[in-house]
Amino acid sequence: MKRHVLRLLALAGVATFALSACDDGSKGTDPNAQIGANPTLPKQQQYLLPPMKVAKVVGWKDGEKPAVAQGLKIQAMATGLHHPRSLTVLPNGDVLVVESVAPKGEPIKRPKDLIMHWVESLATSGGETKDSNRITLLRDADGDGVPESQSVFLDHLNSPFGVALVGNDLYVADTDAIIRYPYTEGDTQITAEGTTLTPLPGGPIDHHWTKSLVASQDGTRLYVGVGSNSNITENGIEAEKNRAAIWEVDRATGRWRIYADGLRNPNGLSWEPQTGTLWAVVNERDELGPNLVPDYMTSVKDGGFYGWPYSYYGQNIDPRVKPQRPDLVARAIVPDYTLSTHVAPLGMVFYTGNALPSSYQGGAFVGEHGSWNRKIPNGYKVIFIPFSNGRPSGQPVDVVTGFLDQGGKAHGRPVGLAVDKAGALLIADDVGNTVWRVTAQ
Amino acid sequence: MPSDITRSTVQGTPVHLTTAESATTEVVRHPLYPMLVPFPSVCFVGAFFTDLAYWGTAEMMWADFSAWLLFAGVVLGCLALIAGLVDLGQRRYVVTQAPIWPHVLGNLVALGLALLNCFVHSRDAWTSVVPQGLILSALVLIVVLTSNWIGWSVLVYRRRVVEVRP
Repeated sequence: MKRHVLRLLALAGVATFALSACDDGSKGTDPNAQIGANPTLPKQQQYLLPPMKVAKVVGWKDGEKPAVAQGLKIQAMATGLHHPRSLTVLPNGDVLVVESVAPKGEPIKRPKDLIMHWVESLATSGGETKDSNRITLLRDADGDGVPESQSVFLDHLNSPFGVALVGNDLYVADTDAIIRYPYTEGDTQITAEGTTLTPLPGGPIDHHWTKSLVASQDGTRLYVGVGSNSNITENGIEAEKNRAAIWEVDRATGRWRIYADGLRNPNGLSWEPQTGTLWAVVNERDELGPNLVPDYMTSVKDGGFYGWPYSYYGQNIDPRVKPQRPDLVARAIVPDYTLSTHVAPLGMVFYTGNALPSSYQGGAFVGEHGSWNRKIPNGYKVIFIPFSNGRPSGQPVDVVTGFLDQGGKAHGRPVGLAVDKAGALLIADDVGNTVWRVTAQ
Repeated sequence: MPSDITRSTVQGTPVHLTTAESATTEVVRHPLYPMLVPFPSVCFVGAFFTDLAYWGTAEMMWADFSAWLLFAGVVLGCLALIAGLVDLGQRRYVVTQAPIWPHVLGNLVALGLALLNCFVHSRDAWTSVVPQGLILSALVLIVVLTSNWIGWSVLVYRRRVVEVRP
């Protein structure tokens, strides 16, 4: 009897260890085979310890800068910022830099949270962040890429991310509300109290906290990205209410509805210039393997459901979610264009300017913050996806690279993107505390 | 010169403690291992039941309970292990009828499996428990109960058994 028990135990131990001993599988699937339509989707893996590689942040030394594609040049437009995450260009050419840090106080629900919070702090460290959660205005009236003035435009915000201007109303998407401020062209500072237009799902968990914001082209509605409250429902399904969605908010009344959902962490909300369709980049789930699940960009359909949490890339069921919802899975939309796995796209902008080479006309730039959930880093760059007839029409091109050096250290990490009045591409680099400006050579 | 200081019985037989032994009992009056070993045992048994509750309800609260119980169990289990080694090293136990190693091995296996189970429980949502976490919790429960059942039938504190005089 005793011997039986021991034998059983030995077997169980060996079996479980065997499960964990497989390598992380980064080699099996080419990350480039996970770009565009019909990506390779390998078998799901479950780990005792998920593969992790968090790039140590070293920042940029004087004179160091990212590399750019041929025909382009790059220079820093502003340095010494405090965790800049997104950018908006005002009609007069002023650039708003949203400096923002994650809200504090995410509860420790289990031992893993202690460790994950520490890992996340490594990934976003680098630079002082105590003066963050504000918007800085850069004024470069002559368009030479060197601002003549820099001022604190709005201060004491609550983890802001998205900004949209409609007429004289400036909307800031804090992590827990859309706030309206009065703005007059030429203002370098707003001192007026803001008015809450619509509260948004915020703390105390607030796992994905960046609220991307864009106004409809006629200015009557706002669209706001509300990320999920967990990786894959581990904080309970009730914590996900109205999350993993894009909301449509009526600008006059603040009333809102869910425009589309099943989008785990949608950011970079933008209008495709040719068709006027809403597009977003979406961060997909972690801990199913180094090559699952590919992040993507997609057009967003009114009423569309895109899978999270029940399934991914259409009808691929995620076994970690119980109870399942076959009714939702059945109508889960396959996203338009995958961007490879764990690249963490957080910013997107369509290029309609004339200053960059004509090949960039009409396509989309995407800022990839970079991976942590695989041994071989992926992302950490800005890419360009050509579009024609309102659809992606080719392989992505690396536009700005070198955020991660050969030794695996991160000088910076790209997040939000914008195109300035002169047609240059602007990049918010959150751990590099810099705004980069890309122009034609 | 030894003299009787107290009288006790082991399985109905009178036992005489001697002063020589009572000197040793001063050291072992506060046994460490028996004091600590119930803590991890209870944590591991508890984790099995909270795992069962999660399996039945898919309510994350139960899986979180399991993760904390396993984590606490492993930490306290390591303390008990150290205490056990100290106790063993100082020969605080008298081994009667059967060998001690099944108990030692059993508890070591339980601790190892529980550590493994901590990692399984660090996954997100359903697969942090079903099926591997639940299977491991059940195995740990069986091993812990068996090992302690065997253990306390063979491990007896030196203070209690010294010399049997007819």
